[in-house]
Order: sequence, then C-alpha cells, then structure tokens
Amino acid sequence: MLRRDLVVVLGAWITWIAAAAAALLIGHGFVLAVDLYSAASRSVEAHTLLAGEFDPLLGIVRPTLGGLTLALSLFGPIIGARALAMEKERRTFHTALLRTGSAWRLVGRKWLAALTAVSLPVSAAAILVGLWRIVGGHVVMGETAIALGSHLLYAALFTSVGVAAAAFARGVSQATTAALLAVAITWAIDASDGFSALAWLVGAATWSPTTYLSSFEQGTLSLGSIGWFLGMTAGALAIAWAGCRFDLHGVRRLGATVGAIAILVATASILRRLPGAWDVTEARRRSLPPAVVHELRAIEGPIQVVVNLDREDSRRRLIESDAIAKLRLARPDIDVRFPPDELGTPSAPAEDQRDDQYGRLTMRVGARSAVTTSNSRREIVGALLGLTGHPSPDWSQAQYPGYPLVIAGGKRTLILAASYVGVPLLFLVAGLAMTRNTPRRRTT
Amino acid sequence: MSALGPTLELGDLSAVRAGARVLDRVSLTVAAGEIVAVIGPNGAGKTTLLEAIIGVIPLVAGQVSVGGRRLHGLGDRARWFDYLSGEAEPPSEVRVGDLLAPEFVRERIDPISLRSLKARLGLDPLTRVRTGALSRGERRRVLLFQALASGKPFILLDEPTGVFDPLQLLDVTALLRETASRGSGLLITVHQMSDAEAIADRIALLDRGRIIAAGTLAELRERAAVSTTASLQEIFLALLSKPNHANAESHAPS
Repeated sequence: MLRRDLVVVLGAWITWIAAAAAALLIGHGFVLAVDLYSAASRSVEAHTLLAGEFDPLLGIVRPTLGGLTLALSLFGPIIGARALAMEKERRTFHTALLRTGSAWRLVGRKWLAALTAVSLPVSAAAILVGLWRIVGGHVVMGETAIALGSHLLYAALFTSVGVAAAAFARGVSQATTAALLAVAITWAIDASDGFSALAWLVGAATWSPTTYLSSFEQGTLSLGSIGWFLGMTAGALAIAWAGCRFDLHGVRRLGATVGAIAILVATASILRRLPGAWDVTEARRRSLPPAVVHELRAIEGPIQVVVNLDREDSRRRLIESDAIAKLRLARPDIDVRFPPDELGTPSAPAEDQRDDQYGRLTMRVGARSAVTTSNSRREIVGALLGLTGHPSPDWSQAQYPGYPLVIAGGKRTLILAASYVGVPLLFLVAGLAMTRNTPRRRTT
Repeated sequence: MSALGPTLELGDLSAVRAGARVLDRVSLTVAAGEIVAVIGPNGAGKTTLLEAIIGVIPLVAGQVSVGGRRLHGLGDRARWFDYLSGEAEPPSEVRVGDLLAPEFVRERIDPISLRSLKARLGLDPLTRVRTGALSRGERRRVLLFQALASGKPFILLDEPTGVFDPLQLLDVTALLRETASRGSGLLITVHQMSDAEAIADRIALLDRGRIIAAGTLAELRERAAVSTTASLQEIFLALLSKPNHANAESHAPS
C-alpha cells in the first residue's frame, strides 16, 4: 500500500516543481557561498598563516544548507499536508482508513511517502557539495554527512507537521495553511532573538528546530538534538493519529488529541536532554585539546557553570558557542545555568544581587567554586580544572590546516550552470518522466 | 447468521448533525449474500446512514452489530466493512493498473474472480492510463472494482450506479449479484428506482431519517396497497403520500 502512496506523491507535478524550486534556492546559496569563499581565499593567497580559518563546512556546506532549510520548511508541510488531505478532498479518506484498518498505518504510510518526496532536495544539496569537490574543493565525508543527514530529520519533522494538520483539516488548502502557520511560529521564535517585539518568545527557543540543527551544521553529532527531532516527529504523528480517528467523537476525540500533544511535549522534553555528543569534524577542531578533555573527564562528581549574562549580551553568545559547546562535548553531563533567563521564577536571584553578579561566570566542582569574568575558553576551562588541584594540562592541539580555494573561469561557469540550470532541470526532467501520461488506446 | 456468514444489524440508530436529527431510530438488517437498497428523497439520510454505520457520524442512540456483537472503534469496522462514497474520486496521478494491482486491493477473492471482475468492468484496456485522464464513468468503475475486490463481509456503496449507462448498468448489476453470491452483504443507496428494483433483494424506504417501509418488492407493494404489478416508483409515491407514514413503521421488518 505504501507503493500506491509513493506513486501518488511522486506522480504529482507539484512534487517535482517544488523540488526544482528548492534546487534553485539551494543552488543560489551555493553560488553565493562559493563566490564569498573564493574572494576571501584570494585575499589570503600571500598569507598562509590565515589559511586555517578556511573551513569548507562553515564556508560552503552550511550556507548551501541554508537554502535547503528554507526549502524544507516551505515544501515539507505542503507536501506532507497534501499527501493526506487529498484523500479527504477525493472523499476516499474513510475508505482508505477502513482498508488500512489502522490510523497508525495510514498516517505512517502517508508520512513516509511524503517524506520521500520532501527529501528530494537533499539530493540537490549533496550533488552541489559533490560538485565543490569535483572543482577541487575539500570535503570531509563524516562532517558533511552529519550536516546533510540532520536535514532529513528536519524534513521528517516538517512533513509530520503537514500530515498532522491534514488529519484535522477538511481539505488541502486548510491543511496547508495550518501547517505553514506552524512553520511561521518556529520562524517567529527564531526571529525573537534579535527582534525586541518578539522578545517574549525568547524562552520558547527550545521548541525551534533551528536550535537543534545548528550543532549538526558545525559537525557535532548530538544525541539530544536527534532525540528532540525524533520526539517532536513522533508527537506530531501521534497528533495526526488522533485527527484521523474518525470513529472518535466529542470528548474522546479531544482526549486523544490532548494525549497526543502531551506525548509530543513529554518525548521532546525528555529526549532533548539525552547526554552524548561527538565531534566528527576533521582534526576534531570543535573540541578542546585531547589532554584537556582527558582531564575534564577525570573530574569526579557533577560540574556546574553559572553564566550571569543576558541573552542579548554578545559575550554570552561567544561563551555559549565556544567554551560551553566544547565543555559539553567533553562532559555531556555538565550543568549550565543562566540566571538572567530565570527572572520571574522563584529561583531567580534578588535584584541587588543580580547587578553585583552580572558578567561573572561561576564554576563549581562539588563544594569548590571559582569565579571569572573572562570569556576566553582557556581561562574558563583553566579555572574549572584549577578547582581539581591538578596541574594545567597540555593545551597543544593538531592544527586545522584550512582549505582556501579560488574558483574562477570555467569552474565558476560550471558551478553557475549546475546550480541555476542543471540540478533544477534534473528534477523537472524526472518529474516529466514520472508524470507522463500514456496515450489511450482506441478500443472498438 | 446465514450459511454464508453473520448478519449486519442496525438497531434503532439515531444521529444528530448540526442540531437536526438526521437518523431517527433506524433499524435494518443485511444478511450475508444479500443486497439491500436504501431509497428515499434528497436529504432523507441515505448517505448519513452509511456514514453512521462506519462510524463517521456519532450515534446518539442505537448500535451497529454484526452477528450479535456490537462494533466498537475503527478496527472492528475495518474488519467487516468496505465503503465507497458517492463523491469518491481515485487519485488522478496513479495509473489504473497500479490501483488494480493485488497489493492495492488486498483482495480476499480468488485471482480468477479478480481477473473476471476487471474484465467485466472494462478496465483491461485502461491499465496504463492515469485515472486523471478517465471519464467519470471509468473512474467510478475503478473505484467499484476496488470495493468489490476487497472481499469484505459487508460492502457499503453510496450511489454506485448513478453514472452508468443502461448497458453498463446491466454489467454492474450482474457484478453486484456475483459479489453477493460470494457471501458479501451489500448495502447500497440508490437514487434511481429502476436501479434499486433491478439490483436489490430487499429495499428500505428512508424519509427524513426514518425508515417508513422495508422489505421485498412484493412486501412493499402489499404495504403500500398498490397493484401486484406496480413499479417501485409507484410504491414509493404511495408510501410517501400516506399521511402518517412517519409513524407507520419505526422498526422495519428484516
């Protein structure tokens, strides 16, 4: 029965037009990234010491995936919603459920079929990253695969949102509108970080997929992030199940829906706390030096870091993305607290204490504690290790060589042609083949 | 229970939609191997009755049972029923052959009967055509094939004959009879009186959500007090014009 759903999804023109449009978005991101990377590379041709800053994962793969993220956010909900809502528009929804015999199976089939179609643009990103390698760029399989694979989790989530919306909607337009509204909410949460009118949404950052996507895009395989995506997807599918149960009415239907939402909140909240993260980047460049990691892992008992900095403070962003991220890779069990985020909660410090403590980082190991106002990784980790009484470890680390590359002339033309014509055309040709109608035989 | 299988029993079904009572104590049985047609004026509740049986419309009273066992939930209904809506359309992107393939119809009937069913519905020449390119009648035949090939104990068909020409109708009538002879009970809603007459073993006349008469053609003639050669249309008009027909038969004979 999955084959029928696959035929329906892949036999629809909208799937291939969406894939071609997504390929254009991804291609545009790729071209901009290549041009910027080339221009910057040209400037370091005479200064090899700066070459280490040229990281293709951040310079090429990540910007290319930006277009993919946007495409999946838009087309995932639409294709997911369409897969199920079309059954309602064709008045075959009840028949399909009776023939499938289970709302779970129907939802699962529709979701899998839609996910196959939604994931098509991931191949466009893979082709373009492959092209980067062909023209002489440096690509590391592990870190690139993690970044690409995380977008499959992203696609799975947004497809399930579309299916869930369709389960409660009367038709495709209603389902698509509801699903895109859900996407818009996640965008609003993302925008709240730098937009004062949406500041009240800042606390909801733990419910935005981009929060969890960013670690993968930096070459970190995080169990908590995988868990959050899986929990949210399972929850959305549970909501879709509740919506499909046409035999449940009134309070029972409401109860099933509320129960499914509770599953979503509970599974995502629990799974996002899963400890365990691995740096899969070349030369483990996201991690602290091996000797430091060894010392940190040797610390017995819980480690706590209290960061007295506001979200809007640039020092906090730096500390979070550098020292804290690296500490978490070494010690996934580390407890990091941000007292300014707890304002209004019973555990929030008094106002006069807040002013005194602002800007301080307090490290605790057992009953011992140390305070610093530095945002230097070495200073913070050094203060933490100093609490154990061990001598300072060796901070030397394998140097990441960096891979500057200037793309010009024929190679650039090839990249332009592939990004703006070749790859989108590939999807259109595939769509033509998949949706082509066979002329009817005349019968006498 | 007949030798062919258990009986579908509708006991005093009542349903409300948008504040209005759309089914009012409807009682009816469909035996295995039997074809029961539900007729009635527009808005009588024919489609609603089928939707109530499969659970789409909540019942405010009454129960749906098979073989004396009350049905609960989707799983129960999926085991016993296949349903084809009168407004159903097959997915336009799919080739007819894909919709007729065994894995799509989950057939419980033997392959020979399946091939015969396909041929009799005239679907063989259409297998490579996408359903979006079919005529309305052809699309209906595809959907009818899927319903009849389901082999479910009870097949509920909403207006299955409305789009067929007289010749096609003869074929479809024969196919419905063959399906019944294999043991499935068919409950169909029909708008055309002549279709109901040709297809059904028993006919139930529904008006404003109530069954005002049910039985074989002969029994209906007797109830309507019309001649023994009267058509179903004449019976229908006679029964509807009875002043107290709403109270005449709140519990239809089975």
